[in-house]
Amino acid sequence: MSRPTPFLWRDRRVALAVAAVALAFLAGTFSFDAVPAALMEGMGASEFPRLVGFVILLLALVLALQPAPAEEEALPAINRCGWATFAACLAFLAVMALAGMLVAMFAFMVGVGWLWGERRPGVLLASAGGMVLCLWLLFVRVFGLTLPGGLLGDMLFN
Amino acid sequence: MEAFLSGMAVLADPFILGMTVAGTLLGVFVGALPGIGGSTTLALLLPLTIGINPIASLAFMGAVYCGANFGGSITAILVNSPGDPSASATALEGYKMAEKGEAGLALGMSAVASAIGGIFSVIVMIVAAPLLARAAYSFGPPEYFALALFGLSMCAAVGGDSPVKNLIAAAFGVALATVGIDLTTGVERFTFGLYDLTDGIGFVPVLIGLFALAEMFDQASRQHSLGKLLKLDSVRIPGMAEFRKCARSIVLGSGLGTFIGALPALGATTAALVSYNETRRWSKHKHEFGHGAIEGVAGPEAANNSAVGGAMVPTLALGIPGSSTTAIMLAALVVQGVRPGPHLFNEQPTLLYAVFASMLAANLIYLVLGLYSAKLFARISMVPPALLWPAVFVLSVIGAYGPNQSMGEVYLMLFFGVVGLLFRRHGFSPAPLVMGLVLGSLLEESLKQSLLIFQDGWVLGFLGRPIALLLIGVTLLGLGAPWVLRLVARLRGPAGRRVA
Repeated sequence: MSRPTPFLWRDRRVALAVAAVALAFLAGTFSFDAVPAALMEGMGASEFPRLVGFVILLLALVLALQPAPAEEEALPAINRCGWATFAACLAFLAVMALAGMLVAMFAFMVGVGWLWGERRPGVLLASAGGMVLCLWLLFVRVFGLTLPGGLLGDMLFN
Repeated sequence: MEAFLSGMAVLADPFILGMTVAGTLLGVFVGALPGIGGSTTLALLLPLTIGINPIASLAFMGAVYCGANFGGSITAILVNSPGDPSASATALEGYKMAEKGEAGLALGMSAVASAIGGIFSVIVMIVAAPLLARAAYSFGPPEYFALALFGLSMCAAVGGDSPVKNLIAAAFGVALATVGIDLTTGVERFTFGLYDLTDGIGFVPVLIGLFALAEMFDQASRQHSLGKLLKLDSVRIPGMAEFRKCARSIVLGSGLGTFIGALPALGATTAALVSYNETRRWSKHKHEFGHGAIEGVAGPEAANNSAVGGAMVPTLALGIPGSSTTAIMLAALVVQGVRPGPHLFNEQPTLLYAVFASMLAANLIYLVLGLYSAKLFARISMVPPALLWPAVFVLSVIGAYGPNQSMGEVYLMLFFGVVGLLFRRHGFSPAPLVMGLVLGSLLEESLKQSLLIFQDGWVLGFLGRPIALLLIGVTLLGLGAPWVLRLVARLRGPAGRRVA
């Protein structure tokens, strides 16, 4: 779907967002700790980031001044499944904090698999279980990684 | 020659040959897992190799390095999630090919181009390692600054909607590279008091987020349109026609990769991105790029694997890592009691050439593996998205968490997943951001050092460095030419019409 291009067409809005981030970045450079003048030689810690910030601002200006298209295509909407998947990623972090990484991985694989349309419980459970088992064998048993155990893990094993 | 022959002879030792084969297989396997690239694997394996003799240990690690570089292209092609950073350029065209049902063809071309590039670079190393090392050693900070600037200017043509957006993404990458403790002053920059950020933003979470997670979010929001599974009869090994079509890009990629890889700090990722750009520039089929061009797979794959051989030169000859993976190799050498540097070529040539021999063998092993298991790898595409993408997510989480065992890296990965999705929706390519992040610290450090060298007369200073001047000139020409040409065309336009 397309519509006549408004003054603040998409790339201009993007340029504004880029400029805002660049300004925040530049502002951040003023919060760096000062280095005593006697110890300073050459460029300090803030000059290069400031230079980069100004380059981004300049590029944002160039983007804003690009010729506008005759019509603006509407961005495809993020559907319910997209939002739900994102929410599942956040829920993964919560489950991980509570029950540990392996449990969170299993729950995520079952939950998101169902969300994406897999309705066979056996397939979901087997794939999630198999995957988690492989990861545990490879990373915990072979590579010796310590995965977060969550509050539950801490209570059970510590 | 004597050293080379004695180096090759170590492969006759069954233990060392076995370690090389095992290293290659392990490298391809872990390289195929998103985010678990060569650097992560080598870092995890480092403590395990301490007890092994130096030659076997280095042969094993060299083979893992080569195998992982090839393995990274498997997931780049099949799920748009580069297992290794160096495969990010391969994902640009390889994934499009997989979407068109040409996953097997892309994988086959990737195996052949990777092997040609890898073998080419190892041969070049064997013949010309001391010379290349000396050439790279003669580069000073001004040359590195100019080279990094040139590399970033190349981003303009990497992908996405417009060159300006690419340059913005690259500049953001450079901005991200400034996060962490400034090495010259010790000042913390943009760390917000978080310990995880003091060493800077990790490369792995950014890459996994931008590529794997953003792809998952994107797939989720258009999930209804999925379900086209790859048919096995569509998988085929590249034929002569494809090889002829890609010959130029493979030669170009191998040359560029070896050269860029040999330059300290510029590794396989830069080589692949530059090669992708140059392949597109010189291609007779430019219109295919962005829609699954096989040349766009061959060029970067030849480049990133030839960069592996090249990157070993500054690592071994100068003690300067050519990439994050070779930095771990460097650590492995030191742990083994081997002091890398120019003296290594004179004092322990057998060890040096044994590493090259193992890398040569690894390239041959994964060529066979890649060609004969392309169908097997392509089957990954047949896994239903409902099972594949949740699995990619959990692999990504463990990939981001693994290297530093830090939850901060997992949060960063999620953040960059959202950034990657926004990038896609608004026509930005993630590759320039990655390149900016890779080159950012080099750009800053070399600029600071150059200004110290030149004191107040930096303009005259750069004018006195012909290589730096040439690179800056090429950069300005590359960036300015399209604008100047457009301006000239606009000025000529009305006059032309008046004449008519």
